[in-house]
Amino acid sequence: MSNNKNPLLPHLATLENVIDLTPDVRLFQIELNDADFKAKFDYKPGQFIFVSAFGTGESPFGLTSVAHRKGPIEVAVRKVGTVTSSMHDLEPGAAVGVRGPFGNFFPMDQFKGKNIHIIGGGIGFAPLRPIILTILDHRNDYGDLFILNGARTPSDLVFANEFDTWAAAPKTRLELTVDAKDDNWTGRVALIPAVVKELQLSPANSVAIICGPPIMIKFTLTELKKLGFADEQIVTTLEGKMKCGLGKCARCNVGDKYVCKDGPVFTFKQISGLLEQF
Amino acid sequence: MSKYISKKDLNSWLNKVRDNRRLVAPTKVDDLILFKEISRVEDIVSDYVNTDLSPKEFLFPPTEVLFSIEKKNGGVELTPARVEKETVIFGMRPCDAKGVVALDKPFLEDPTDPLYKEHRDKTALVGISCLKACAECFCSSMGSGPDDPSGFDIMLTEVKDGYLVQVLTEKGKALLPDSTLSESGEAKPKAAEVATVPAKDVNVKLRQNFEDPYWNRLADRCIHCNMCSYVCPTCYCFDIRDYPNKGKTDRVRSWESCQSAGFTKIAGGHDPRANKGTRMRQRFAHKLLYFPEQFGVSHCIGCGRCVKSCPVNIDIREIIQDVQKLGAKGE
Repeated sequence: MSNNKNPLLPHLATLENVIDLTPDVRLFQIELNDADFKAKFDYKPGQFIFVSAFGTGESPFGLTSVAHRKGPIEVAVRKVGTVTSSMHDLEPGAAVGVRGPFGNFFPMDQFKGKNIHIIGGGIGFAPLRPIILTILDHRNDYGDLFILNGARTPSDLVFANEFDTWAAAPKTRLELTVDAKDDNWTGRVALIPAVVKELQLSPANSVAIICGPPIMIKFTLTELKKLGFADEQIVTTLEGKMKCGLGKCARCNVGDKYVCKDGPVFTFKQISGLLEQF
Repeated sequence: MSKYISKKDLNSWLNKVRDNRRLVAPTKVDDLILFKEISRVEDIVSDYVNTDLSPKEFLFPPTEVLFSIEKKNGGVELTPARVEKETVIFGMRPCDAKGVVALDKPFLEDPTDPLYKEHRDKTALVGISCLKACAECFCSSMGSGPDDPSGFDIMLTEVKDGYLVQVLTEKGKALLPDSTLSESGEAKPKAAEVATVPAKDVNVKLRQNFEDPYWNRLADRCIHCNMCSYVCPTCYCFDIRDYPNKGKTDRVRSWESCQSAGFTKIAGGHDPRANKGTRMRQRFAHKLLYFPEQFGVSHCIGCGRCVKSCPVNIDIREIIQDVQKLGAKGE
């Protein structure tokens, strides 16, 4: 929870760097202005922040960096609406606002000793990167790491500049897939659920974490269950329209839960127990 | 013996209140009785069963600046809004005070909403119990009642030529000191008879029959005008946006309704509640199931305003009765 006394008032921050990840996704590296707050600012994989593009508004984004690396706060933002378009217009040095971190997080402690399957589609891959970075930085704590990153086209794959590092890490396998190839692509052309089926991911001592568009999650879930994964072995994040992140605006209310407070991380066992299906 | 104030003394007290505070009370606006800031005590009306709108807007305004944003010397300066004036809301009915009690729950729970809290801290609620009920009232079934003092700082009960007075809080005591009051042996008049609705355990029934096609059938006639949310004393869903204002930007909070299309639509186009049936169910599930289970109080206070204002006669009293019957054999 934010240390700010007024939880709706953003902390002022500075855009340190903007990196193009795909034609419509940029990585925003943000430094908090207040040294005291910056020193206290801690967050875990799966949590999110609100970023203000002052003059346009603010939107929630899953954190894609990890706190333990002590670098800038990172969010990967796809240009899709008014706030994200404004953000894409910002240049390094611009003033932005940060509220958070909010929400629960991936239970990295419970994942220890297990084989981890990371399955991300499009921009949905962004909140999964902190899991990968945490595992790579504490490699002996976890079992085998399988990463499946899928996108519409090769140029839409996020974090391409890190693929070599991930693939070269011990006990780690990286698979990439696209819906439609371009002239240079020699890799897989298949939908994510089909890849999951083809590779026969093993549920033994493992956990699968899926993030992506609802339709991809739906069919990937079906394949994982056919392979023997139990609902409590499959973890995802829910998305919800959000305005406050505090459980007050009631926009992300799903059944008797709030995505912002009770989530965004849920196991499919928890999701199937929700009154309402999102 | 009870504490008593004559109508004449009450008027001079209201005049004093108005001198150094914002006095908000029911007054006639065209054909409606609405809460407005009062400049002349004579404009306050007392011959109403209930006001057409609750005074929710004085604690949680329809649109309110949260803070202003000013770009200065390459940086940004944020100035949070403050509540300047102390306010006394006079003439509320017990249902609306119960509405404030409900409104307090999400806004005052940790982390507290500082602007709402400031409104609340600087506002005293002075109510008048109900000797008459309107046709749509059902407060006694929703955890309130025509003479329920909860939420008030001071509650008055009308008797001949004056009011019996219950001073309920320290804030009330400071506002209306004992020296202003006299003693009266007059018996407390009988509170209004209020129609009842079988609301007991409706949360359980709603949970059990969550997927019932009832909600889609009911929503067929909804024209999503959002009136139900806007007249409701407890609805609190909100939106936050930036608006330009004379070279600066205001970050503004405004009322939003779960009935409006797009309420849950996220970037990228996915909308988990794209159809009217799921939105209609959300309204009643929030009022009768989620909120009561989360905070221990009903989120409908039985004022009947949504019943009166719905252009297609969607009636929460009927819905409560229907939900009680859902899943029963023969349905």
